[in-house]
Amino acid sequence: MKVFFEQYFDFHIMGEHFGEVFEAFLQNLLIFFVAAIIALIWGLVLALFRQAPGKKFIPIRVLTIAYIDVLRAVPLLIIILMISGGVPFLDFLPKDIRIPHWLGKPDPFWYGVAALVFVYGAYMAEVYRAGIEAVPSGQMEAARSLGMSHLQAMRHIIVPQAVTKVPAPMLNELISLLKDTTLVSVIAFGESVLVSREILAEQLNSSALVLTAAFFLVICLPGARLVDYLIKRNQGKMSRGAHIEVA
Amino acid sequence: MAVLLVGVVALVVAGCGGGDSSTSSGTTATEEPAETGGGGATEEETGEEEPSGGGEKLTVGSDIPYPPFEQGKKGSYTGFDVELMEAIGKEIGREPEFIDSSFETIFRDVAQGKFEAVMSAATITEEREKVVDFSTPYYLSEQAILVKEGSDIKGLADLKGKVVAAQQGTTGLELGKEKAEASELRPYPEGPDADNALKAGTVEAVIIDAPVAKQQAEELGGIEIVEKVPTDETYGIAVEKGNTELIEQINEGLKKAIADGSYTKVYEKWFKEAPPLEALEKAIEEAESK
Repeated sequence: MKVFFEQYFDFHIMGEHFGEVFEAFLQNLLIFFVAAIIALIWGLVLALFRQAPGKKFIPIRVLTIAYIDVLRAVPLLIIILMISGGVPFLDFLPKDIRIPHWLGKPDPFWYGVAALVFVYGAYMAEVYRAGIEAVPSGQMEAARSLGMSHLQAMRHIIVPQAVTKVPAPMLNELISLLKDTTLVSVIAFGESVLVSREILAEQLNSSALVLTAAFFLVICLPGARLVDYLIKRNQGKMSRGAHIEVA
Repeated sequence: MAVLLVGVVALVVAGCGGGDSSTSSGTTATEEPAETGGGGATEEETGEEEPSGGGEKLTVGSDIPYPPFEQGKKGSYTGFDVELMEAIGKEIGREPEFIDSSFETIFRDVAQGKFEAVMSAATITEEREKVVDFSTPYYLSEQAILVKEGSDIKGLADLKGKVVAAQQGTTGLELGKEKAEASELRPYPEGPDADNALKAGTVEAVIIDAPVAKQQAEELGGIEIVEKVPTDETYGIAVEKGNTELIEQINEGLKKAIADGSYTKVYEKWFKEAPPLEALEKAIEEAESK
């Protein structure tokens, strides 16, 4: 028991490396924000492709479904390793894309963002789809009967309603996304887990990992509570005018 | 949570049962062995049941693969470390059994009794000596700078402002931090990851143990060693602090292996050159006089 506490709860080591770990955690947040913004858009695009109507869009629907299924089934860690290990060798791409150093960020950062966007785009597409499918089909029929095209109906009728139904599950995805930014450590990007493990290798003590966990707790716990609150509020809205709080 | 942990510890202690004398335990029965399950414990127990010379198991932790020091598949590990340990084992009547383990936690693990010894191309450093005891040196090491063929980097001095890779928790990384003045130093979890990054062109140089660099340059192609940096470093076998009995046995075994030529045989097999026996013996004497 004593060894356990010495190994993971050495507050001296936590204090000594606080600044270092905090700075690295900011890198996690940065990956998160960049990846989240792109993935939210990419996911919506995928969801709309998946709903594209009629015969002529069959190839798009099939491709989109295949993409979503595959990317949800393959471990994110493997996607990260494949992108960072494979993309540099794609000779037909310009060097700036093969080895990106955009905005002063090193290539592992962008490989990590790309992998997170690819995978979380697929997850988020499913969240949007659930939202779209939760809009009663009569809405689409009504919009089409008023002479709107499928795209117009989607844009003005369906998506605005669907979007109100996605925040809670989407927030869950975002919490996962934030935690999964630590996987980018495997391609040597200096985020908090990598830095903590470096400290572990130097000091032979794992307390920096617990400190990192604490940073994630501070961000993710309120997030989880917010999800619960949103779900509850949404249930209230759904239950036709019954605003009775059930204790 | 706390209750659960106490439960786990109790189970582990019970599992190890009848006090295992081979590893002078004490604080060893912690959470760590619980994760790897009963495997290690039972092996130690079987070792105890048949204490007659020849066959007693000696569990050795090692970060595999790290060719040419340790490589191969589970159950048939091979390499310089593995074969040298087998030679030492023969001299002292123990049969080494290698267990794959992550390098960054390997010293903590041996200090906590997950295995009895560490032999993983591990450099003897003051930091590490605080947590474990080392044998006398069994190998004199150099670091090598690996670059892509045709690179304009000619050595350590040219690494200034470059993107340099090394393996997490290794001396190569330390050397990079202290002497390279790189614009970015990337610690990869495994050595081969760093080599791949070098081949891919995402890093411009890799600092890694010289024999490892030599083998990887030969196998991968397209990359070459431009400079070897002597570091006054020696590799040692580590055991739990205070386990002087085992250390003395290992030191004795190593000496015998050097004397009867089995060290030279293993060295020549894996490094394709004659071992620097004089320098090694000098290093051993120095270590003994400390």
